[in-house]
Amino acid sequence: MPMKKSWLRDYIIKRLFYAVIIAFGILTITFVLVRVGPSSPADKYLANVAARGQDVSQVVAAIEARHGLDKPIYEQYINYVGNLARGDWGWSFSTSMPVTELIKTHWIYSFQLIVLSSVFAALLGILIGIYSAVRQYSKTDYIATFLSFIGISIPNFWLGVMLILLFSVQLGLFKTYYDTSIPLFSLANLKQLILPVITLGTGMLAGYTRYTRSAMLDNLRKEFVRTARAKGLPERTVIGKHVFRNALLPLITIIMFDLGSIVFGGAYLTEIIFGIPGLGRISFNAIFADDYAVVVTVTLISAFLILMINLITDITYTYLDPRIRYD
Amino acid sequence: MTDRLESKHIARKVGGIRKLVLILLSACLGLTALLDIFVVEKIFSPLVYLYIALGTIAVLYGVPPLYASRRLIQYYWVRARRNRLAVAGLAFILFLILLALIGPFLTADPTAANFEEKNVPPQGFTIEESVYNPETQQFTTKSITGMRQHPLGTDNKGRDLLAMIISGARISLLVGLFATGIAVAMGTLIGTISAYLGGWVDNALMRFTDIMMTFPFFILLVLIVYIFGAKLFIIVLVIGLTGWTGTARLIRSETLSLRTREFVMASKALGASDSRIILAHLVPNVISLIIVIATLSIPGVILAEAALSFIGLGDPSVTSWGMVLRAGQQNLDTAWWVAVAPGIMLFLTVLAFNFMGDGLRDAFDPRSAV
Amino acid sequence: MGKLRILIFLLIGVTLITSSCRIAREAGGTYISGTSAGDAETLNWILAADSASFSYAGHALDSLATYDNEWRVQLRCAAKDVEVSEDGLVYTVTIRDDLKWSDGSKVTAEDYVYTLKDLMFSDWLNYTYQSDWQEEVDGETVFVTPEVVNEVTFTITRQTLDPEFIYTVRGLTPYPKHIAVKYEGDVKAFTQAPEFNNLTYTGNLGPYKFVEWIRNDKFVVERNPEYYLGKDTEAPYFEQYIIKIFGTPATCHGALEARDITYTGIDPDKVGKFKQIEWINVYTVPTTGYVLLAYNLRDNGWEGFKQKEVRQALSMAISKELMIEQVLYGFGEPAFSFIPKPSPWYVDKGLAKYGVKPLLDKEKAKELLLEASYATRKADGSIEVINKGGKPLKLTLVTNTGNEIRENVGYLVKQELSAIGIEVELKLVPWATELRKYLMNKVPGTDQEPRYNNGVGAVSEEPWDLMIMGFSTNPLSPSGSDVFYATKGGLNFWGYFNTQTDELFQRIKSKEALDEKARKELYAELSRLISEEQPVNFLAFQLANAGFQKNVKGIEPGINMGYNYHMWYFE
Repeated sequence: MPMKKSWLRDYIIKRLFYAVIIAFGILTITFVLVRVGPSSPADKYLANVAARGQDVSQVVAAIEARHGLDKPIYEQYINYVGNLARGDWGWSFSTSMPVTELIKTHWIYSFQLIVLSSVFAALLGILIGIYSAVRQYSKTDYIATFLSFIGISIPNFWLGVMLILLFSVQLGLFKTYYDTSIPLFSLANLKQLILPVITLGTGMLAGYTRYTRSAMLDNLRKEFVRTARAKGLPERTVIGKHVFRNALLPLITIIMFDLGSIVFGGAYLTEIIFGIPGLGRISFNAIFADDYAVVVTVTLISAFLILMINLITDITYTYLDPRIRYD
Repeated sequence: MTDRLESKHIARKVGGIRKLVLILLSACLGLTALLDIFVVEKIFSPLVYLYIALGTIAVLYGVPPLYASRRLIQYYWVRARRNRLAVAGLAFILFLILLALIGPFLTADPTAANFEEKNVPPQGFTIEESVYNPETQQFTTKSITGMRQHPLGTDNKGRDLLAMIISGARISLLVGLFATGIAVAMGTLIGTISAYLGGWVDNALMRFTDIMMTFPFFILLVLIVYIFGAKLFIIVLVIGLTGWTGTARLIRSETLSLRTREFVMASKALGASDSRIILAHLVPNVISLIIVIATLSIPGVILAEAALSFIGLGDPSVTSWGMVLRAGQQNLDTAWWVAVAPGIMLFLTVLAFNFMGDGLRDAFDPRSAV
Repeated sequence: MGKLRILIFLLIGVTLITSSCRIAREAGGTYISGTSAGDAETLNWILAADSASFSYAGHALDSLATYDNEWRVQLRCAAKDVEVSEDGLVYTVTIRDDLKWSDGSKVTAEDYVYTLKDLMFSDWLNYTYQSDWQEEVDGETVFVTPEVVNEVTFTITRQTLDPEFIYTVRGLTPYPKHIAVKYEGDVKAFTQAPEFNNLTYTGNLGPYKFVEWIRNDKFVVERNPEYYLGKDTEAPYFEQYIIKIFGTPATCHGALEARDITYTGIDPDKVGKFKQIEWINVYTVPTTGYVLLAYNLRDNGWEGFKQKEVRQALSMAISKELMIEQVLYGFGEPAFSFIPKPSPWYVDKGLAKYGVKPLLDKEKAKELLLEASYATRKADGSIEVINKGGKPLKLTLVTNTGNEIRENVGYLVKQELSAIGIEVELKLVPWATELRKYLMNKVPGTDQEPRYNNGVGAVSEEPWDLMIMGFSTNPLSPSGSDVFYATKGGLNFWGYFNTQTDELFQRIKSKEALDEKARKELYAELSRLISEEQPVNFLAFQLANAGFQKNVKGIEPGINMGYNYHMWYFE
C-alpha cells in the first residue's frame, strides 16, 4: 500500500525552487556568452556596405539599433527577461520569425528522434541485458558483451555517415535526406527514421545492455534469490519480478541521465548528418548567425527538460524503493 | 616495516624539494612568457605552456606517491592483468602513444598537398576515376592503384592519409590527456572541498555543479568555441572546464564516506590544517576512483574534440581525426577510405580506453572476484 | 479538282492556325531545386543582405526588366524599356497596367516611388544598398529624385551622370504603399510585419505564390494562375516550385542522383560522375565570379609587393592552367582582369596574360626578382630567391576555412611558389576572423574606426602577405569593381593606390562614357592597365555546372539561364 509521503510535497517544492534558480543561472550565462562574442549580426552587412563606400560605423549602429543591441547589456538582459515573463520569447532575426513559432514548427522532429531512439535503446538493451545476465558465460553472453563494447565505442557521427554510405548511396534502400512532407504518423516516416534512430540509439543501447547485465548479476547473487527459488517460485517470476525490480533503480538513473545529457549532444550531430530540421540544427545555425534569442531559448528548453527529468527520476525512486527519503 | 619507514623519509624530503622545483620552473616559464610577449617572436605557442605546466605538476606530485606505494601498485597490477581485454586495451594505447611520439618523424608531412597524387586509394586497391576534359567534352577513365608511398591512400588534396592519421593520434592523445586532466583535477578539487567543508560551501558548490550539469554540454561547447575561436588550446581548456561535473559528484560522495573515518579525525585532532587533510589524506584515498573515472572520461573527451572538428569548429591548422573525417564525409562516394580510416582509429582508441577502464575498475573493486 | 485543292489548303491552313495557338501547355509536376549554400534570412527583401533572400522573394516578385544570355533586355513589370533623356539625367519608367496586388488593387507608379523615397531612402529603415541610388553633388552625398508622373509612369532624376545607373533602375521591385504606410517609421514592426514576411501581398507580380517556408528545410511556392506573363502562355508550367535545403553538398548531390530533386549546382569534382548518369543533363555555364590572389601592398605586407615588377614576377610563376586543371577540374577560364568574357565590355586584345605561356616562366620570374634585388646569382649560375638582408623569403598566405576551392588554390600557390624558392606558410582562418583581423585596417597609433580601406598608411591588425579571395563583377557595369581597385574604393583592403586606374574609373562614370563605343574603349584601356599592373593576380573565372533531370525542357544554357525559367516544363 503506497504510503502517504508528506515530505514529498515539500521536497518537490524545494526542487522546483532550485530549478528556477538554476534556470536563471543558465539563462544569464548563455545570454552573457552570446553577447560577449566578438562577432555581431552586423558582420554580414559590412562587406556589402563597404563595397558601396558607405560609412561602416553608421550602418553598424543602425543595424544594432534595429536588433536592440545598442543598449548596455544589463538593460538588454532586463528587457529580455521581462519579455520572457510576458510570453514574448523574442524575434529570431536570422530566420525572420518569432522564436516561439520557430520552436513550435521544429521541436517535433527532435522529439520523435529522441523518443524513438530512447525507446529502441531501452527496450532492446534491457532485454539483451537480462538475457545476458541470466545466461552468464554462455556464448550469447560473450557476443552480447563484446557487441555492446563496440556499440559504446563507435563515434556516432561516424556511424551515421557509414550507414548513409552503405544503405542510401550503395544499396539505395533509404532516401538520402529527411523528407518533411511525409506525415508524421505514417509508416513512411518511420521508415526514414530507421537510420537516424540506429545512429543515435546504438551508443545508448550498448550502455543499457551493460548496466542491466551488471545490475542483474549483482542482484542474482543476493540471498533473497535463493529464498525465492527455495520457495518453489517459477524461474520467470524470480527473474522478472524480484531480481529485475531491484536492478531497475540504477538502470532508471542511467536511462534518465542519458536522456538528460548525452542525448542532446548526440541528437544534435544526428540531425546535422541526416538533415533532420530539429532543434539541434536550428540552434546550431543560430549560434553561427549570432541569433541570441534562439540560442538562449533552446538552451533553456534543454535545461528545463533535464531538470524535469531529474526531478521525475528522483520521485520515481521513492516509489520504487520505499526506503529512500529526501529530507 | 623498513619499507614503509623509508618511503616516508623520502616523502618528507621530497616535499621540500618539490616545492622548490615547482617555484623554479614557474619562474623560468614566466620569464619565457614575458620574453615571448614583448621581445622575441613566438617561442612557444600557448599550448606548449599548458603542456609544460600540467606535465610538471603531474610529474612532481604524481610520481613520488606512486613510488612510495610500489607494492600496492604491484598488487593492483596483478589483479588487472588477469582481464585480458583490459590488457589488450593497454597494449593498443601504448602502441598509439609510440605512434604519436615517433610516427611524425617517419612519415610525410600531413599538410603537404600534392594535387598530382590526389584521391589515391590505399595500397592494394584500384579505383576508376573519370577525368573530364571540358574542351573536348570527353571524359577519360583512368584507373588509379594504391602506391607504396601512400599505404593508406591520399585525400582529395593529395595529402598522405597515414601521415594525417598519425598526426591525428598525437592530437587526440594530447587533447584526451590534458582535457581529462583539467576536468578530473577540477572535479576532484571541488568534490573533496565540498564534501569536507560541508555547510554552505557544500551547498553553494553543489548548486553551481547543478547549473553546469544542467547545461546541455554540446551546445555550451559549440557556443564557447565559436565565440572564443577554434584554437586547440581553447578547445582543450573548454572541454576540461565543462566536463568536471560528473567527477565532482562521484568524488564528493566518496569523500563524504571517508570524512567520518578515524584517520581523518585523528589528523584533525593533531592540528592538521584543512588543506593538508584534503591534499595529503583524502585525495590519495580516492586515487583509485579518480584513475577509473579519468580512464573512462578520456574517450568522451576525444570524441568531443572529434565531433567539434567534424562540424567545422576544430582548429584548422591542426590535423585531427575529426578533421579528416569531415574531409572524408564530403567525398564519400569517390574516396571512401578517407572517412573509414579515422573512424576506425577513433573507434579502436575509444574501445581500448573502455576496456582498460573497465578492467581497472574491477581490479580496484575489492568485491569483484578477479 | 479545284474544289478539292481549296479544301486541302483550307484544312492545312486551319491545322496550322490551331497548332500555332496551342503554345499553352499543361501545367504539372513539382520542380525541386536543391541547395547546400544555406537558407535565406527573410522574405522581407528590403532588410536582407544575403542573395538567397532576394532570390526567394524573386519567385513571387518580378523586377522591371531582366536580361537573356546575350544581354538583351527582357521586359518584366515594365511596359517598355527605361527611357533615358538626351542629357542622361532623367530616367522615365513606364510599368504595365495589368499588375495587381493580392487584394485586387492596382500596382501603380505611386507604389514604386513610395518604395524608393519612403522605404529605400529612409533613415529609419537603413536599406543596405542605399548607395546604389546616391550621387555626389558638390561634395555632398544625396539621393536621386523619383517623381510620379501618372498612374503608370514615374521618373528618376539625377544631377550627375552615371551611364550605368540604368542597370540599377531595371532591377527595381515595389512594396505595396497602402500596406507599408501602416509600419512607417517603426522598424521593429516593419521587420515583423506578417504581410511582408509571408509575401501575402504579391498579387500577379510573379510566376509563383508563396505557400510555406519551413526554415532550414524547404521553401515552397505554387503556380500563380494570375501571372501577368502567363496570359497567353499559361506560364509557369510547374504546379509547385520548391527550394530544398541540404546540410552538405554531398547529400545534395546524392539527392540529385537518386532523382529526389530536379536541379542542383554540381561541384567541379563530381561533374565527371554526373555526366555519366543517363537521366541527368549537366550544363556548363560561365559565371561572373573569379578567384584571385591578393598581394598586400600595405605597410604590414612584404615590401617587395610595392614594386610592380615583383608582382609581375610572382604572377609569372603561378600557372593558371594548372590551377584550373587541378582545383577546378577544368571548369574555369584564366582571368587577366576583372572583366569576365561574357561581358559586353570584354576586350581580349592587349591584355598582359601573366600565368599562361609565354608569360608563364619560372626562370624568367626568378630573373625579374634578381633585377629587383630579391635574388642572388649563385656560383653555378642558377638564381636563388632571397629576401633583403640575405634571409630566405617567407610569405604568409591567408584564406578562409569552409571554402574548399580557396583552400586548394592556397595549397597550389604554395606549391608553385616553393618551386621558385619562396616558402609560403598557409594560414586558415574563419571568415569572420579574416574580415576583422586581416581585411579591416586603420592607421596605427590613431583611434580611427577600422574600415576596409582607411587609405594610405592604414594596416590590418594581423600582418599578411598573400590572400586567396573570390570576387564577382557585374558584367553589365564592371565599373562597380572600383570598390576594389580605386584608391578610395570601399573594399580596397590590400591598399592598391594608383592614379591612372582612378582616372580611368572616373572617366567611365562620366559623360564621356555615354557613348557605348567610347565606353568600350575605356574599359579596354582599363583592363590592359590592370593586367599590366597586377594589383592582384587574377587567377580564373569559374564555370558553374548545373545538373537537371533529363525531363526538364525549355532550358537555354548560358550566363543568365534562369531568365526564362517560367517557361520550363516537364516532358
